[in-house]
Amino acid sequence: MSETANATVVVDGVSKHYDLGGRVTALDDVSLTLSKGSYTAIMGPSGSGKSTLLNLVGGLDTPSAGRVVVDGRDLSSAGEDELAAVRGTDVGFVFQTFNLMPRLTAVENVALPLVFDGWDRDRRRERALSLLSDVGLGDRIDHLPTELSGGQRQRVAIARALSTEPALILADEPTGNVDTETGARILDVFDDLHAAGNTLLLVTHERHVAERAERVVHVEDGRVRSIEETPEGTD
Amino acid sequence: MDPAESVRMTVRSIRGHKLRSALTVVGVVIGIASVITFATFGASVETEIVGDIETTNAGNVYVFATASGDDDFDRVLQPVFTESDVNRLAATDGVRAALPRGIVRTQSIRHGNQTLARQQVTATRPASFTPSVLVEGRAFESGEDAVVVNEDMARSFDGNLSAGETVTLTTADGEERTLAVVGVVNGTRGELPVSDFARQPRVYVPIEPFYDAVVESPSAGVRQRAYPQVTLVADPRRIPETQSAVQAYLSEESDARSLSADDTDLVARSGSDFVEQISDVIERITRFVTGIAVIALVVGAIGIANVMLVSVTERTREIGIMKAVGARNRDVMQIFLVEAALLGAFGSLLGVPLGLVVGYAATRYAEVTFSLAPLWMGLAVAVGVLVGVLAGLYPAWRAARVDPIDALRHE
Ligand SMILES: Nc1ncnc2c1ncn2[C@@H]1O[C@H](COP(=O)(O)OP(=O)(O)OP(=O)(O)O)[C@@H](O)[C@H]1O
Ligand SMILES: [Mg+2]
Repeated sequence: MSETANATVVVDGVSKHYDLGGRVTALDDVSLTLSKGSYTAIMGPSGSGKSTLLNLVGGLDTPSAGRVVVDGRDLSSAGEDELAAVRGTDVGFVFQTFNLMPRLTAVENVALPLVFDGWDRDRRRERALSLLSDVGLGDRIDHLPTELSGGQRQRVAIARALSTEPALILADEPTGNVDTETGARILDVFDDLHAAGNTLLLVTHERHVAERAERVVHVEDGRVRSIEETPEGTD
Repeated sequence: MDPAESVRMTVRSIRGHKLRSALTVVGVVIGIASVITFATFGASVETEIVGDIETTNAGNVYVFATASGDDDFDRVLQPVFTESDVNRLAATDGVRAALPRGIVRTQSIRHGNQTLARQQVTATRPASFTPSVLVEGRAFESGEDAVVVNEDMARSFDGNLSAGETVTLTTADGEERTLAVVGVVNGTRGELPVSDFARQPRVYVPIEPFYDAVVESPSAGVRQRAYPQVTLVADPRRIPETQSAVQAYLSEESDARSLSADDTDLVARSGSDFVEQISDVIERITRFVTGIAVIALVVGAIGIANVMLVSVTERTREIGIMKAVGARNRDVMQIFLVEAALLGAFGSLLGVPLGLVVGYAATRYAEVTFSLAPLWMGLAVAVGVLVGVLAGLYPAWRAARVDPIDALRHE
């Protein structure tokens, strides 16, 4: 398997420590490769390091040791501006808590990454509107996050993650705060993105969610315990 | 990032905290308003005084003695200009007339049954009262028992003094002299800036027989009248040359030179010299008072900085979100600086009209004509924005350095 050659993400011997009086090891020598267009789920008990791993891949955090390479770019040695560019254009992040800007409307939230990516106003709005209608929120464009339901907020967040057309989508428990039905719709969106050739990495602790992916990485105590190919992924 | 977008986001966030934002800029509003008030008031006073002198006394050169090195306010000192000096000055090229002025000590002036205290009156020659300054009556003649008053003096008496009436002047030694009021002159035209530029009631009497300060003229060898001040009516097109010719005479040959102490300067000032001097003094006062107003601005800046720091803490999570979707440190910095600058601009925009209103009230109170100081207004707004930006620098820098992961975890 020439996995590395075709890889979008390479996590190579990565550790993450926190020094708070004692030393907390969130990740301990983790290696993982995501090939282009793959769909991977991460499972594991609470506190096992899933979010930490996702944040490192998304350029939100930097490793204590090891390398994280995204699209050929080594994030462990990247400067602040380069990391910002990765977060803005290479990666789309979907959070469990949505993380929408409270004073911006749905369409403005979706357009926010485009502001930092230097798009002009008309193009930003046009793109944001089409993304919102793709996720079924064409009639909620001027609503503030507080005027939307949890599931609607998560769809705004997904539209935002897609705005700069990143090849890599990262989602940290995207269905954790929405009801089962909405969760199912969100997973359908991910399936579509996968079908369209995007690379997906999704953290979940729900078995049925993880099974939508091609493979499941099991993490425990900051280490990768096993990698499981799902029936879905084998076709 | 797109500056227009950062302004939009900022306006949104300021609107989200209307009361807080308004309170934040109170310091700036007060600072800018005080600057504008004082600048406007200073400009109004200056325009008024300078306007008086410029329009009326452009062709005059004032000759007087003053203590050396005293370059702000010229104080008229001893009577050192003799009749010989006056004649020589009158004969100088470019001088059309030399009008000596003396001070006659008095106690009071009475009209009808109203007596006003009056320490001194001005003794001068009839030629001082040209038709252009006379609003009523005529000039007195030399040797006549008569006075000319200015309009302010005329108004000092109930029922307004006018030509043809009489006044009784009590001299320093207690003697009462009843004199005819033969003319009234306009209070702002043809005055002596040396002593009259502030509008005050004035009484003029003829030198003969009222003024009797005498001294022995070193050049003529005889006792002559001597005056503390001489006004030269000069050819307006040749003021500089006339001024230097007069100056040369004063410092080399004049009786006044030998009669004055060494530390006394004999000066020949033109109307424009006075304009410059007065403007200079007023400007210095304005600058000083404005400096005090700047302190209010510093307080305003501290207010903005304080609220911005609170705002950064409050919006830590938002900063984290922006960074998570691609904001660079400088984008975050820009957003907070724009917010601080807008608060400063907002403060100045409120402060300028407030300052103008207060400045206008002050000019009404001081009875000077209101004039605007547009440069100061522009400057005040610029300063307000600058104050905001300076106050926002540290908070913005703090915001830019927020770690995205910590920020997203922030509740
Ligand atoms: N900023 C931090 N300071 C100290 N320890 C941290 C920090 N962030 C994470 N950790 C620790 O790292 C470990 C991994 O945390 P992480 O958030 O990755 O867990 P997780 O697998 O996502 O858990 P959950 O399923 O509950 O979200 C935890 O033990 C946590 O306490
Ligand atoms: Mg987690």
